[in-house]
Amino acid sequence: MRHLLSLTHPIHLVGGHTIWGIWFIAIYGGLSVACSVAPPAPGRDTLTGINVAVGVSTLATAALLVWLTWACVRASRRAGVRRERFFGLVSAGNYLFAVGATLFVGYPAVFLPPCL
Amino acid sequence: MSDTKDASLTPDTRQLHEGLARVWANPRGLGALTVVNHTTLGLRFMATGAVFFLIGGLLAMLIRTQLAFPDNNFMSNETYNQVFTMHGTVMMFLFAIPILEGLAIYMIPKMIGARDLVCPRLTAFGYFCYLFGGIILTASLFLDMAPSSGWFMYTPLSSGEYSPGSGSDFWLLGITFVEISALSAGVELVVSILRTRTEGMALHKMPLFAWYILAMALMIVVGFPPLILGSILLELERATGMPFFDPAGGGDPVLWAHLFWLFGHPEVYIIFLPGAGIVATLIPVFARRPIVGYGWVVAAIVIMGFVSFGLWVHHMFTLGIPQLATAFFSAASMLVAIPTGIQLFVWLSTLWLGRPIMSLPMLWILGFLVIFVLGGLTGVMLALVPFNWQVHDTHFVVAHMHYVLVGGMLFPLLAGLYYWLPQVSGRMPSERLGKWSFWLIFLGFNLTFLIMHWTGLLGMRRRVFTYDTAMGWDIYNLISSIGGFMMAGGVALLIIDVALHFRFGKPAPQNPWNADGLEWAMPKPPTPYNFVSLPRLETRNPLWDVPELPRTLLEGRHGLATIDHGRRETWGSDPLTGKLREVVHLPTNSWWPLLAALSLAVVCISLLVRLYPLAAVATLIAVGFLLRWSWENGAHPKAAPDATVAPGQPPLHSRTMNGPGVWTMSVSHLANGSLYLSLLFGWFYLWTVAPEWRMPETSPLSMPLLVAAGLALTLGVLLLAKLVRRLRRRHDAGLRAGMNVAAALGALQSTLLIGVVWLAELAPTESAHDATLLVALLYVLIHALLGALLCLLQGLRVGYGFVSAEVPLEPVVVLRLWYYNLVVYWSLFVAIWVIPTVLGGAP
Repeated sequence: MRHLLSLTHPIHLVGGHTIWGIWFIAIYGGLSVACSVAPPAPGRDTLTGINVAVGVSTLATAALLVWLTWACVRASRRAGVRRERFFGLVSAGNYLFAVGATLFVGYPAVFLPPCL
Repeated sequence: MSDTKDASLTPDTRQLHEGLARVWANPRGLGALTVVNHTTLGLRFMATGAVFFLIGGLLAMLIRTQLAFPDNNFMSNETYNQVFTMHGTVMMFLFAIPILEGLAIYMIPKMIGARDLVCPRLTAFGYFCYLFGGIILTASLFLDMAPSSGWFMYTPLSSGEYSPGSGSDFWLLGITFVEISALSAGVELVVSILRTRTEGMALHKMPLFAWYILAMALMIVVGFPPLILGSILLELERATGMPFFDPAGGGDPVLWAHLFWLFGHPEVYIIFLPGAGIVATLIPVFARRPIVGYGWVVAAIVIMGFVSFGLWVHHMFTLGIPQLATAFFSAASMLVAIPTGIQLFVWLSTLWLGRPIMSLPMLWILGFLVIFVLGGLTGVMLALVPFNWQVHDTHFVVAHMHYVLVGGMLFPLLAGLYYWLPQVSGRMPSERLGKWSFWLIFLGFNLTFLIMHWTGLLGMRRRVFTYDTAMGWDIYNLISSIGGFMMAGGVALLIIDVALHFRFGKPAPQNPWNADGLEWAMPKPPTPYNFVSLPRLETRNPLWDVPELPRTLLEGRHGLATIDHGRRETWGSDPLTGKLREVVHLPTNSWWPLLAALSLAVVCISLLVRLYPLAAVATLIAVGFLLRWSWENGAHPKAAPDATVAPGQPPLHSRTMNGPGVWTMSVSHLANGSLYLSLLFGWFYLWTVAPEWRMPETSPLSMPLLVAAGLALTLGVLLLAKLVRRLRRRHDAGLRAGMNVAAALGALQSTLLIGVVWLAELAPTESAHDATLLVALLYVLIHALLGALLCLLQGLRVGYGFVSAEVPLEPVVVLRLWYYNLVVYWSLFVAIWVIPTVLGGAP
């Protein structure tokens, strides 16, 4: 298990997108449920609890992914084996992409009403 | 021509070749139905896929004939509906996926230095499921009962009320049958790539094609089950009236759209990734340098595989989903352009930095680059919600889809065909015919589909069977039809070229393209055992770095060059490092895959004609055949009764605790888990969204019985885990009794679950709530029965000596199933009893 947690293990190739995927399902599913159970008044603009929740989760997820990106870069620099350097760097690239994907997908919460 | 008859080989080496040829021989005549070898089955998959391509192409020509002129009455509207539905269905399910899987089945062992895939009987089973499913589905055309609701079968159009005939049933049952094949291939490709690479081929050194196929196979494993679940639910609705998609009964037709596109969008990338894998294999060969940015490509493959699962709602932008939710999917749809762009620039950089030479395969690659980039650009346009609304369901979307799929899959596939044809036949195809074929297809394609963008922008809906001349679409449709027939001419030339080359093609040299891949190091045409000896490889470009490899392989100077034991063998290696871990002994030719697939075909047909007792009997027979198939494993006389290996070699995989079988079971549970999660999604989706869904105030399910069933399962898992721990310490005393007790616990769980269903007095035809509960309970019941049955079988096998401390693998595999059952059971208990009870039902 400790082996899997090592940041140079290829499991991290999919780590960033797994986190992104969970976050994506959570915001889409959460939005659908929230709009079904407690939709904000149609006249309100984007400063609703739903938008704030999407925004906060976006920033928190992005922060976690940024940290993992950095950790993978450091782990790959420390790695003695070429294979580990390879997977550390590629995983870092994928975590970085996941950072961009999270911010890009979450950004519309700034200017769109949630349930219309 | 076969290099194995080389006169310079020593008598010992020649004897080795003869021994391997005897052990790996493919029977002829009726016995050919028992073949399990990946080379033969890969070719069968591809040949069958090619036949379905011709059928799909013929249907396309019928469509283009009908649309060539306004107010045309070449076909009636009902026939047209059947034709376009079957065109899409045949091309997507019976051509694209199977032919690519066939290519992977044929090519992967040769590229990773293995003698076969890890589950050869599963390959054969998958092929027969594909063949029978395809025949059943295609037969509907000739019976004038073909489905007519479009290839994505939207409800309520495909439901009993609006499609009362058998067309939708043919689609739902036939496609589910074919998907068994796709999943079988997906599972074994994943395990084969991860666990049977030749010695030294670490994960970061394996060919890019293998990375692409690994991603494709994993996507099949995760992406296909939502559609399988959707098909089961829709067929249940049609056959028994369970209202999963009927709003009046608490269902929702949009649930079908979600389940379909959860599969359908990844499907596009499932089709594209192998195509891109071919491109990434061929470009370095013809650029005459290693690929630039191997790591970038690996990253792009992983990104594409994941992001493609986050796009499904972009097919549903017009369904009334809130703007913010559509924005999430719009953004994700644009994001997928980034990994595509990475790959494109890697390929262009490789050409730029190399010394490219032009050849027939490269011509197809250049065609791919042009067409796919255009398809990608219109894809980004369609990701924009306002534009998507304007062109939704028009010919613009049809054109985009064909640019992506034909550009991304057909052109690379044909490049691969010309590239690997000499490897298959030992002969070179005709350059002249090939070029004519390319230009006819390339120009014909663009004439058909480039123009179709305009037709769509002018407002032509994609499913209209005719149009009035006042619409102004006449000339565009006529040009598209001319282009379509030009393309058909190109396909005809291609067929002639391939057919003629078997007889008139020049004999191919050992490595006609000066390629780097291991598949060019073997005899041509390939022997059933691929390699006489398996090399140790630590390079990504074996034939460029070790040019003498074909010769030394042929002379048996590498690993596993023994055959005295009479077993079919290949290496089992560490998934990361490529270090040797086991000798994997592979099963030989067998009737069980055919018999199992045949009985499933009977199940399929009897469900079609609503002969349910026959379906039940055929299901039991199929289970019997599958269990009998599993009997011939481990220390069984037809498997590996003698565990002797050559000095210095690792043990046989059945004598270890972590052989590929454990991996196969785990990957299968990815698929199973995807199906289960889709079911949970359906439950929560209907609960949240369906307007007429009614959650009872108190659950109809008996909590004490549910908990008791769960406890029986938990005890069974604890017992099995203890037995496996003891086996790990080489203790097998009490193993048989332990297995029997575990089987009894599984039987107890099953009985209690039947009690739960019985006491609940569900009304599944009246409410979607009860129908979903019933399906969920049946799902865990089937798993409980399977767990019990496999433990019972293990007990028997211990008695026969096929399983013991010396042959400990199978209980580990069975334990994985029980672990899965445990997680699924308790999570389902929370979903269907705890949460509804805590939240309370609606009045």
